[in-house]
Amino acid sequence: MKFIITILFLLSAVWVSAADLAKVSFEKDILPILEEHCFSCHGEGEAKGDLSLDGFKTASDVHRGYKIWEKVRKLVLANEMPPQKKKKRPDAKQRALLTDWTRHTLDTFYRTSPPDPGRVTVRRLNRVEYNNTIRDLMRVDFKPAKDFPADDSGYGFDNIGDVLTMSPLLMEKYFAAAEEIAAKAVAVSDADGRIAATPFQKFHFRYPVPLKLRRNAAEEFVRTFLTRAYRRPVRAEEVRRMMLLAKQVVDDGGSFEHGIRMAVAATLVSPHFLFRWELDGAPKNPKAIRSLNEHELASRLSYFIWNSMPDDALLKLVQRGHLRKNLPAQIRRMLRDEKAQSLVTNFTGQWLQLRDLEILQPDKRLFATFNNTLRTEMRRETEMLFAHVMRDNRSVVDLLNADYTFVNERLANWYGLKNVKGGQFRRVSLKGTPRGGVLTHASVLTLTSDPNRTSPVKRGKYVLENILGTPPPPAPDNVPELEAAAELKGTLRQQMVKHRENPVCASCHQKMDPIGFAFENFDAIGRWRTMDNGEPINAASQLDSGEKFRDAAGLRKVLAVRKRDLFVRCLTEKMLTFALGRGLEFHDKRAVDGIMKQMERDGFKFETLVMGIVKSLPFDMKRGEEGVNDQ
Amino acid sequence: MIRSTHIPRRTFLRGLGTALALPALEAMLPARALAAGSAKFPTRMAFVYIPNGVIPEKWHVKGKGSDFQFSHILEPLKSHREDLLIFSGLAHTKARSNGDGAGDHARANATFLTGRQARKTAGADIRVGVSVDQLAAQKIGDKTRLPSLELSSDGRRMSGNCDSGYSCAYQFNLAWKSESTPLPPESDPRLVFERLFSNGKDSERKESSLRRERYKKSILDFVLEDAKSLEKKLGYTDKRKLDEYLTSVRELEKRVAASPNSSVDLPEGFNVPAGKPRDFGAHVRMMGDMMALAFQTDSTRIATYLLAHDGDNRSYPHLGVKGGHHSLSHHRNNSRNIADLTKINRFHCELFAHFLDRLKSIKEGDETLLDHSMIVYGGAIGDGNRHSHHDLPVVLAGNANGAIRTGRHAVYPRETPMSNLFLNMLDIMGAPTQRMGDSTGRLKELA
Repeated sequence: MKFIITILFLLSAVWVSAADLAKVSFEKDILPILEEHCFSCHGEGEAKGDLSLDGFKTASDVHRGYKIWEKVRKLVLANEMPPQKKKKRPDAKQRALLTDWTRHTLDTFYRTSPPDPGRVTVRRLNRVEYNNTIRDLMRVDFKPAKDFPADDSGYGFDNIGDVLTMSPLLMEKYFAAAEEIAAKAVAVSDADGRIAATPFQKFHFRYPVPLKLRRNAAEEFVRTFLTRAYRRPVRAEEVRRMMLLAKQVVDDGGSFEHGIRMAVAATLVSPHFLFRWELDGAPKNPKAIRSLNEHELASRLSYFIWNSMPDDALLKLVQRGHLRKNLPAQIRRMLRDEKAQSLVTNFTGQWLQLRDLEILQPDKRLFATFNNTLRTEMRRETEMLFAHVMRDNRSVVDLLNADYTFVNERLANWYGLKNVKGGQFRRVSLKGTPRGGVLTHASVLTLTSDPNRTSPVKRGKYVLENILGTPPPPAPDNVPELEAAAELKGTLRQQMVKHRENPVCASCHQKMDPIGFAFENFDAIGRWRTMDNGEPINAASQLDSGEKFRDAAGLRKVLAVRKRDLFVRCLTEKMLTFALGRGLEFHDKRAVDGIMKQMERDGFKFETLVMGIVKSLPFDMKRGEEGVNDQ
Repeated sequence: MIRSTHIPRRTFLRGLGTALALPALEAMLPARALAAGSAKFPTRMAFVYIPNGVIPEKWHVKGKGSDFQFSHILEPLKSHREDLLIFSGLAHTKARSNGDGAGDHARANATFLTGRQARKTAGADIRVGVSVDQLAAQKIGDKTRLPSLELSSDGRRMSGNCDSGYSCAYQFNLAWKSESTPLPPESDPRLVFERLFSNGKDSERKESSLRRERYKKSILDFVLEDAKSLEKKLGYTDKRKLDEYLTSVRELEKRVAASPNSSVDLPEGFNVPAGKPRDFGAHVRMMGDMMALAFQTDSTRIATYLLAHDGDNRSYPHLGVKGGHHSLSHHRNNSRNIADLTKINRFHCELFAHFLDRLKSIKEGDETLLDHSMIVYGGAIGDGNRHSHHDLPVVLAGNANGAIRTGRHAVYPRETPMSNLFLNMLDIMGAPTQRMGDSTGRLKELA
């Protein structure tokens, strides 16, 4: 067994440098591998799974078929193709050559293809956006969406247009909410004509509204309200139709305010309100690329930073056509507005998975001290660090290696920090402690653990996925069964090393486990420890790529220095996904490269990241849609 | 709606003491349900999903036909022996990788009621297939106030990525209205309750509900026109989103048109759920009660319930189980893990037994609500350790008005598509179809 492991270790070190990859020839180097290992099922007349590879004769054929080749690469990388049952399988070197070359040639192709902003599927307001928009539009804050069904997510976020579906149940909720909101935001006058006008009414009307001016006031209201609710200029015809609807109520004997309520309720269930449309002249022509108009840009911007509608300051700039000119100042202003807390909560809630803290249930008997207050405060700490980096325009790398954090007395005790008194959160130094950066926050350490113990695998996977942007290939289809082991002894790490003796598992686990081992000094709810299962903890390890470290602090250095660019790229990709509301495509690589370059120039400042995203091609422009493909 | 021959449910229910003692429904059944001479009660259909497979050796029952012995996991269902049809041999081949790589949990969840291969995508162009419950709802959904009811214990999604490159939509929804539109489930029993009895509050009833419904109709017309004006300006996927919107509005319109007074009063003495209990068992039992209540009041005849999504890593400390369910399900043949998993599998059966108890306690004519139902309990992973998708754990309860012969263990040939069972069930519901998912024909000897 030992022998096999050694061999495997050696083989996994096979790799080809970028310079060498440029010299690889499809015809001479790649094609023979395909002929030898793939064509028996996917070539020469065979097309298992509707895939035939012998049509690819040159590298440019591969570029044209990039979607197929991305899939081929994935399956070969995951060791799923050729199937395990095949007697003759490519060796590690052949596989590395095939996958590395495919990556290289496709990336080169992507970076040199004509610019393409991509296309965002129309986005329905998700629950957060709905609540925030209602708050800003109606000046009532009671989170009507709390009873809406959960939004599904895709690409790690719940604001993805393609996945935000509409159902009869949701429609029911929208109707009920619209009725309730209209009733809350529009007070009705009493028998003597007196009214306790709401903030919403005071914004739109000057009370009392004289009888003969009501029609005008109503029309003016409808125009202003629809413009805000639909986040675009409205047509006279739209105003007219809405007036008719409201009039129906008045004709029916309802009061002026009842009519207004009707208009509000109808607006809030209109597709123009519930979805963020960006209508095109040629929606079905993928070549028809255009810049967003300023209304659309303002919406994208405010839903990115505030998860809500544009405010009056933005709208004023839009009316004069001055938004683009003033983007830097506006972005700075928006990031400092308290509404940007929504970006903090929702982006970190999903990127760093902090939302999961709400549902995790550490084993009560093992972790009796864990409670809901702690749950909330753990999350708060990480949000505060992110908010600090955002508002003070610090380097995003601080998120990984800040030697300070934000705690109150309770969390300070949790961490063993002294001299912090009271429930107030404050900035404290972490110098001289084993902690620093989000990866040693109790929040992240807890949410990457099992209910009863730490999980080095989960922690490793978390870092690979969310920090480095290099997710491990998924576990093989048929995890081979390990022999029933005798009761395992020793630390968790010792047990895991035993399990890794299986070579099939080892290939991925040697990417994940070492990272996880670094955090073994932190238990399943983030407390410091030196012993596990009665034996001292060894947190030293070595990354798959060679870097050695002694503990979490050592790993932190590796990540923040040697792996810094991977981290910044990963964060950029995640935030761009969140900002666009769609998954990234190959053509977005160039935008990400561009943002990275700008960040590098000024020390990876947070504002530069946001600015880079907002000015990037996929955010600032759009195009028509390609025909539905059936890849 | 033809409602002339029956007593409005509201009047009928008002005088009753408790929900549990609710007597015969026939007087209040819509005339249509009583057609064809026999005073039959409508057949109800529900699906309850259990995640992460089971320990096969502890699940499988010994003996065939009516001569079978309960297994350890299924033992909690013992008192319903005569109401059960336990299946062996059913499979969901479309939950397998079939070239799509990892992601068995997402696939299992998505395939369970659709019998179709979920398109592997993290977001763009999600697609699987119309689920069996929705095929039934398309045909008979208009007979009840709600065409179908979707429930789940999971009110939230885990954040981050779902299973191996599959959108979370696959893993958190069972019911699919179209191949690209899942129906999100409700997880708070209070909200389910309010949905079933929305017009039941006295305060609301006083307000001129007719006028409100009329206004609602005006708004519906108004927004339908809004939507139509958009229709021609859209590309392919945006158009699909608008279609979802249109479908939803139209469905609401149908409901408003059907009858403003079509909702049901709460049987007195029924405890209104205050919200979602923290305790998982209490939550599941309450969701079962909601389904029973929906069936009892004929608010719907079709329900799906995701007891927990596949891949769920919930912990069960009160069972003395350490570790999360999903982590444990990869038990590595460790005897303690297996014992813990068995406890979880058995506990789920106990919760299901509570639901069956409830259905059985509700009298309909000389029989019970359970006798007029067919409730499928199971999942699309067999052995959780191996992610296998054959020999699925599937139990059916209730004889569906005599259409299904229960009290036995039916062994079908290995790899018999689960979708074949769905064809039979659709026949029974009065929504026959020739194919669904990967079906190859109807199951034989079900009756």
